[in-house]
Amino acid sequence: MKKKITIIPLIIFLFILSIFFYLLIIDRDISRLPSNLLDKKVPSFETKSILKNENFISTDEFGNEKVLVNFFATWCKPCRDEHKYIKLFSDKEKIKIIGINYKDNRKKTMEWLNDLGNPYSNIAEDKKGKIAIEWGVYGIPETFVINSQGIIKYRHVGPITNKVYKKINLLIREIE
Amino acid sequence: MSLKKIFIILFIFYSFQFFNYNSFSVEPDEILQDQKLELRARNISKKIRCMVCQNQSIDDSVAPLAKDLRILIRNKILEGYSDDEIFVYLTDRYGDYILLKPPFKLSTLALWSLPFVFFMIGIFVIFFHNKKSKKEY
Repeated sequence: MKKKITIIPLIIFLFILSIFFYLLIIDRDISRLPSNLLDKKVPSFETKSILKNENFISTDEFGNEKVLVNFFATWCKPCRDEHKYIKLFSDKEKIKIIGINYKDNRKKTMEWLNDLGNPYSNIAEDKKGKIAIEWGVYGIPETFVINSQGIIKYRHVGPITNKVYKKINLLIREIE
Repeated sequence: MSLKKIFIILFIFYSFQFFNYNSFSVEPDEILQDQKLELRARNISKKIRCMVCQNQSIDDSVAPLAKDLRILIRNKILEGYSDDEIFVYLTDRYGDYILLKPPFKLSTLALWSLPFVFFMIGIFVIFFHNKKSKKEY
């Protein structure tokens, strides 16, 4: 009986240790947080449009087709790095892309788009970062995949890499 | 001065640092004129995690997003939101993770109850062990 009792804490300890070890070796990034908005409708907002001479009204933009929403800024280096993939989504996959220009300067944004090319069908201006908070964004770049019913299906935090590009592409084909 | 004395002085010094709660990042332009409302905003901010730094509250953090959230909380207070409504507004967008103290619900049951379970197991083991060893004498 005594032996049994002393072995129980050891088993519990080894069990906890194996859980920690498992969490240590699996491929995960603890800084990436799941979005609370997944499977929910896109937040509605109205702001100035960077590309058009009219207001950006979110309800006009979502709910008709699949859309990619990309939070970006000209001062953000990773946004520049991922821009080629955003362009690929637009040029190759022909998916509608909405940009949300986070705490940026309109003139600089236009110059940036002239330099790198414009994959966005419309760009909303988020001067004070209020729209980003509505979307639960905590660092740009962030990219959301919206289905044709205007429901958020996927969120990626950080720049889009080749691996992420392929993943999002597969997802776009799967969702309706 | 002996090593022991130096150690004691250092211990007292750092203990005071530990109890010093005055470090905060609220900037003068953010502070509300009404002291009562400002205190409410500070108390809410202390419970909200900075999503950028992740181990700091937005009250402590100098990250731009923390500042935005501090301003947002103050605006919501001025709009007449209650504290609970502000917490709901934030968790709707950022999830429970934004709360520094996780709420007690089914998904966090293990988190809240396991320390007590282990505590009880510990007491049981000690009690059982003592009983056994007494018998041996």
